[in-house]
Amino acid sequence: MNGWILAAVLVLVTGVGATLWGVAGGPLRRRATAQNLCTALACPVLLLLAQGYGRPAYVDLALVLAVLGPVGTLVFARLLADELADDPPHARGPTWTAAALGAAVVGAVAVATGPGRALVKLLVIGVLLVGGNLIASRALAGGMQEGRGD
Amino acid sequence: MTETVIVVALLLVAVAATAAVAVRDPVRQSLVLAVLGVVLAVLFTVLQAPDVGLSQLAVGSALTPLLLLLTVRKAKRRGRRAERGRSAGGDGP
Repeated sequence: MNGWILAAVLVLVTGVGATLWGVAGGPLRRRATAQNLCTALACPVLLLLAQGYGRPAYVDLALVLAVLGPVGTLVFARLLADELADDPPHARGPTWTAAALGAAVVGAVAVATGPGRALVKLLVIGVLLVGGNLIASRALAGGMQEGRGD
Repeated sequence: MTETVIVVALLLVAVAATAAVAVRDPVRQSLVLAVLGVVLAVLFTVLQAPDVGLSQLAVGSALTPLLLLLTVRKAKRRGRRAERGRSAGGDGP
């Protein structure tokens, strides 16, 4: 049980702490990337905490964050499109690292949960987390500018 | 072990809140505020209040930045229009 919380603390300190440092200074592209990575890293933390406390109901928080985090990043990508168009943020390495971490955490928690409805919920969270994160970072990098009329 | 998580979350919230105050530009501030909302939700979860964390996530991660950015955009547009109107009124009839 303590191992899960220890892992959550580790991800919280290294991952979320690093994104906090990234969002506090520097150019706008760095801040936007850090905000996207923050939601992508906080979701595994919430999953690990739910497993560590032994309360499956806490998984709902991770589900909400997996849905709303990419939505928030898409809001920034849409409303800051003019500012970000000059030098679009390309953070392929950190994005894939965060996605791999999320997938690994979902896999570990899924193995610990065992088969059942909770497993299906976890897998849905994993797909939403990784897919939403990749789509949001692609939108930040300007990959969806072609479809816009203006 | 539980206290360590609480201390770490509290420290992160303190750093994020300080950064949100220190940043002056509203657009950049909205980015810091989004991160602050997520960190606050983690703090509420650690304090065994997931219901508060849920509403904090919904409000903090998407709604507050959206409102801020829309307000900034509207204020900018209105300022630009007023400037244009002033210059047009200056050399117009």
